[in-house]
Amino acid sequence: MNIDYHALAPEIILALTVVAVLVVDLLPVEKFWTAVVGLGGLFLSFIPVLTLGFCESLEFCDDTGVRVLFGDSYVVDTFSLVLKGVFLGGAFISILLSVGYLESDRFWQGEYYFLLLSSALGAVVLASSRDLITLFVGLELVTGPTFLMAGWRKGDARSNEAALKFFIIGVISAAILLFGMSLVYGVTGETTFTGIRLASAGIVDQPLFTMGVVFTLLGFAFKVSAVPFHFWTPDTYEGAPTPVTAYLSVVSKAAGFVGLLVLCYLAFAELRNIWGAALWILAALSMTVGNLIALKQTNVVRLLGYSSIAQGGFMLVPFGAAVTAGASPAQLEDAFFATVTYLLIYAFMNLGAFAVVIAVRNRLVTAEMDAWGGLYNYAPGLATMLAIFFLSLAGVPPLAGWFAKLVMFRSALSIGGGWAIALAVIAVLNAVIGFAYYAKVVKAAWFDPIPEAIPADELRGRSIVPSLQFALGLTVVAVVLLGFFPDVIARLGDLTTGFVSGF
Amino acid sequence: MTLADYLPIVLMAAVGIGFAAVSLWLSWRLAVNNPTPEKLAPYECGIVPLQEPVERFPVKFYLVAMLFVIFDVEIIFLFAWAVRFEQHGWAGVAAVGIFVALLIETLIYVWKRGALDWNVARRERYRTVVAERLEESQRVGEAA
Repeated sequence: MNIDYHALAPEIILALTVVAVLVVDLLPVEKFWTAVVGLGGLFLSFIPVLTLGFCESLEFCDDTGVRVLFGDSYVVDTFSLVLKGVFLGGAFISILLSVGYLESDRFWQGEYYFLLLSSALGAVVLASSRDLITLFVGLELVTGPTFLMAGWRKGDARSNEAALKFFIIGVISAAILLFGMSLVYGVTGETTFTGIRLASAGIVDQPLFTMGVVFTLLGFAFKVSAVPFHFWTPDTYEGAPTPVTAYLSVVSKAAGFVGLLVLCYLAFAELRNIWGAALWILAALSMTVGNLIALKQTNVVRLLGYSSIAQGGFMLVPFGAAVTAGASPAQLEDAFFATVTYLLIYAFMNLGAFAVVIAVRNRLVTAEMDAWGGLYNYAPGLATMLAIFFLSLAGVPPLAGWFAKLVMFRSALSIGGGWAIALAVIAVLNAVIGFAYYAKVVKAAWFDPIPEAIPADELRGRSIVPSLQFALGLTVVAVVLLGFFPDVIARLGDLTTGFVSGF
Repeated sequence: MTLADYLPIVLMAAVGIGFAAVSLWLSWRLAVNNPTPEKLAPYECGIVPLQEPVERFPVKFYLVAMLFVIFDVEIIFLFAWAVRFEQHGWAGVAAVGIFVALLIETLIYVWKRGALDWNVARRERYRTVVAERLEESQRVGEAA
């Protein structure tokens, strides 16, 4: 068998890094080096992603266009390369967030980075998988290690609760997903996505097939924490260590969306009316319920948990809008583009928001919004970055978030028709509600007086570890620059739409 | 198929929830509730339990069991390769070598971390953590 090792290079390097991290953990050196090896490995595996992406302009690279491996089940195209980049970047920033956090308490560090990198490896595999089995293995590799990471604060009951809830929900969703996949396989007799798409043409009306599709999508709905499958999200996000929450809300969630994207637009492309209708409901519910509950939160981490449910709803809007019967391939491509672009921008915004939360908790310990009052008076830099990320999440121009919302509305409105317009109206209302609670946090940090209960020594400057500074700098620059030059991210988004109409 | 076609599912859900609610309500209204001490005991017959039945037992059993399962599964994979040994040639040997090397690495890791060490009190990390905690509590005591 001839294997294209260049196409597999990111995965191979990442797998070797995982092994190396375990070895470094055994060596008699500072545990800090496990993180350094992990960061180095993520950086190294990003290089082949670039060389594969710019293959046509590189001399040594053998340009073969889309690389198909292992009998159609593993495909390296521009879509998978862009998302591999996101996953590697997200994992990179998550490690940067974790270093200081883990060192501040007596955590087991080597295994932590081992688990995080394994999970990132799963995400990278997932981005390329075009087969039900590869997809499932990738998804479980993403989720499995995160169960343990959520419970990393071993002595803390809340952390244990977070891990247990996440574990139980994760296992149930995996079971539902497998059930759906087995039905799909049973009806079509295929596991590759292209095979399912070809086989599905004649059997669109079979109820069993519909059931399989719906169950498969519901398995992913748990992963992207869409309402009504969201109950684990706030508790897990609040109880898990904050860097793990950042990882869960970005990389793990993005992995769920990648699964939805390839399934809906490739494998189940002929059944647009079924998944469109189901995801229409999930999008409307996620936005509305997530935002309304977020409005009442007093804890910033919990607020970000509900906000991530609502943001997931916004990402589902283009899916839901695609239910309209008359949507042309170009409009579907636009819907696909909108979700990917939203995902890319959301990754930076949310990682940044959690980086700020970690930096503030470094001083105040608590994440209660009342205690954050007057942050601007003693930590102007942090308060400014807080405003940048939270207003970006709300979609205020010229921060990157506005572009994400713009493409989302544009795709829903350009598809048109009653259902798409109705969903766009719900999304507009929710964007307004969202602004209220994001602005509430910013207002507390900038205008409220400093609570008297806070001891004076917590207000004095306490240094932020360099890794966290680096992560903050990286995300701030990304969010501000992408807001002014959204065409960079739009170009990346455009590259990904290859298989939507080009089947 | 549009959203309107999902109406039967909504009706079905309403009927399902309604049936469960009505049955619970009926059994609550109609059933005779007449508790006696015997009825409320955990077991109506046999010896009355005097203590909590479940004793805690060491988590080490679990670790050893997990390791056993991992190496058991390894052997299953080796069988699949062994029956086709000649067709795969050296490439097969290399692939299986990588697979076994990864498992051996994890075994070494687990060993070094002390998971196979039956006596916890002898473990170095355990001792250092205990010593640190003691020192800390003494420091807090002195400060107070």
